[in-house]
Amino acid sequence: MEISVPVRKTVVLEPFIKLVRTVARVFYDNYTTVSDNQQKSARTESRGTAVVVLDALTRRQWVREEDLAKDLRVNAKQLRKILRHFEEQKMVMRYERKETAKRAKMYSVAVSATTDGRAEDNVKLHTHSYCCLDYQQMYDIVRYKLDRIKKKLKSELEDKNTVQEYGCPNCKRKYNALDALRLISMEDDSFHCENCNSELVVECNKLTSKEVVDGGDNAKSQQQEKLKLLLQNAEVRLEPLMELINRVKDLPVPNCEAFPAWEARAAKAARENGDLNPNDPSRSQGGYGSTLMPFLGETKVEVNLGEGKEDVKSEGGDPSQKVLPPWMIKQGMNLTAEQRGDMRQEEKVDGVSGGGAELSDDKKSAMGNGDDKDLKDEYLKAYYAALLEQQALAEKANQQESAGDTELATTSSDRQVGVKSKREEEDEEDEIWEEQVPAADGDFQVDLNVEANEEDEDDGIDWQEDSLLNTD
Amino acid sequence: MFFHIVLERNMQLHPRFFGRNLRENLVSKLMKDVEGTCSGRHGFVVAITGIETIGKGLIRDGTGFVTFPVKYQCVVFRPFKGEILEAVVTLVNKMGFFAEAGPVQIFVSKHLIPDDMEFQTGDMPNYTTSDGSVKIQKECEVRLKIIGTRVDATEIFCVGTIKDDFLGVINDPAAS
Ligand SMILES: [Zn+2]
Repeated sequence: MEISVPVRKTVVLEPFIKLVRTVARVFYDNYTTVSDNQQKSARTESRGTAVVVLDALTRRQWVREEDLAKDLRVNAKQLRKILRHFEEQKMVMRYERKETAKRAKMYSVAVSATTDGRAEDNVKLHTHSYCCLDYQQMYDIVRYKLDRIKKKLKSELEDKNTVQEYGCPNCKRKYNALDALRLISMEDDSFHCENCNSELVVECNKLTSKEVVDGGDNAKSQQQEKLKLLLQNAEVRLEPLMELINRVKDLPVPNCEAFPAWEARAAKAARENGDLNPNDPSRSQGGYGSTLMPFLGETKVEVNLGEGKEDVKSEGGDPSQKVLPPWMIKQGMNLTAEQRGDMRQEEKVDGVSGGGAELSDDKKSAMGNGDDKDLKDEYLKAYYAALLEQQALAEKANQQESAGDTELATTSSDRQVGVKSKREEEDEEDEIWEEQVPAADGDFQVDLNVEANEEDEDDGIDWQEDSLLNTD
Repeated sequence: MFFHIVLERNMQLHPRFFGRNLRENLVSKLMKDVEGTCSGRHGFVVAITGIETIGKGLIRDGTGFVTFPVKYQCVVFRPFKGEILEAVVTLVNKMGFFAEAGPVQIFVSKHLIPDDMEFQTGDMPNYTTSDGSVKIQKECEVRLKIIGTRVDATEIFCVGTIKDDFLGVINDPAAS
């Protein structure tokens, strides 16, 4: 069904995508928008659409629902129904707004960057809704679902907390334990039907059997066997899902921001991209990996600190010289400067960057720690000093639009925030360390910002307006 | 669960109670009327702890009765699903056993009694473990969990279980 879906590099980690796909197949394979009393053929037709939709969403970030419908060749109404269902199930975030032509255009700009200019421009003033997978919540929901399934099966197995039901073998009237007070007769110690006064029997309405059981131990144990089998079956079937959940557990969740923030960021990045190399044929490829990163959530590189080698390298540079944590350094110890000082600086880097970007920073500082590290450092220091001056000048020039500018900056990725914030802060020493964080592709990123500033000057009014709209 | 709440009631008082003890008469009649009753909404009224206000009396036409609106504080007991209660066993039969926690009656059906307890008929029908160490019979105290309640306008009946951790016999007067 999905033919014209552009293949795009995403930064959402593979296990998450796999999780979504598995969840779709386990829980929503049978989901259909057609209600029970409608025709059977319609049911089978719409079956599986939910799976397709979820799959498609793993390949996108925020997407306008009409575009998605077009891509999937699905009826827009049906798609909306499915998405609403997923929203209720907390799998998907949706965002609705009334759009002016300008707003729609803004989105088109954003989209044309992600999908290589495929978005249509002729949008009318309608309510548009956008949707995006909510990985964090989905992970929680799936865990909750699994837990409920297990609990339900277990309580069935143990007969826990169920109000016992009784049935009259004569007139088939049903009672339950809450009627006990009325049913008890003083002649013998059993329950009697209010209707025909015949003795009531215990009724089983468990998952496995519907018929009246005499309460005999044999029947009961048979039933228990059946239930146990059911539980085992369920465990086998849900095993792959459990495995995925466990794998995903320790991974950083793909960062999903609200739609307005995403749009602002995407539009900005698109502009930068277009500005840099408007006709570059490789834009769709190379561009995504680097410039368009902001679209796709933060870059997160997992560094497994538990396994020695990489860890050591990233801190000390030389595997034989293990860097000691500060609490291990005592007076009289014979340590190299690297073991003491450099480590401190490294620590500072970690401390400053903080938060969600920590993992990727680790990795990057590791990459920067090659043989030519010092040289690079020197170069960067000089470079940033120059940049600082240049930006200070630019700052003065476009002071009046700075409100809109910083607004945009905060919505962009952490790295850009770090670079921008430098202008406001005084402590230069700290700053330099902060900027060394993105050493691997740092100069490229900063370059972008310079470009962006200049561009902001050009159409500052436009931006201000946008950011004002975005804040609401 | 117990609650301390304020309730209101219109009391009708016969003219013969009018006099300097009118207030005392009113309160004692209120206690007689209300304490021990059960309403589905509030549960069992255990005790009246105080009178908030007594409104102006209204003489009813045709009779000499006077209606006083009375606001009073009282302690009520309302059982909830999931609540743990301690109760005294009142009746044991092959379908399970009945117990009372104050004014509340609770029935524990056989399948909510641990599987290792078997029903024994006789003078004192009971449920006993195979080694005889635990016995549920009349007058026993048990700790149980409420798994269902039936709330009528004037009655609350519960279904409980002792098939869970820390539930079951807590004191057997016959054994000691
Ligand atoms: Zn009957």
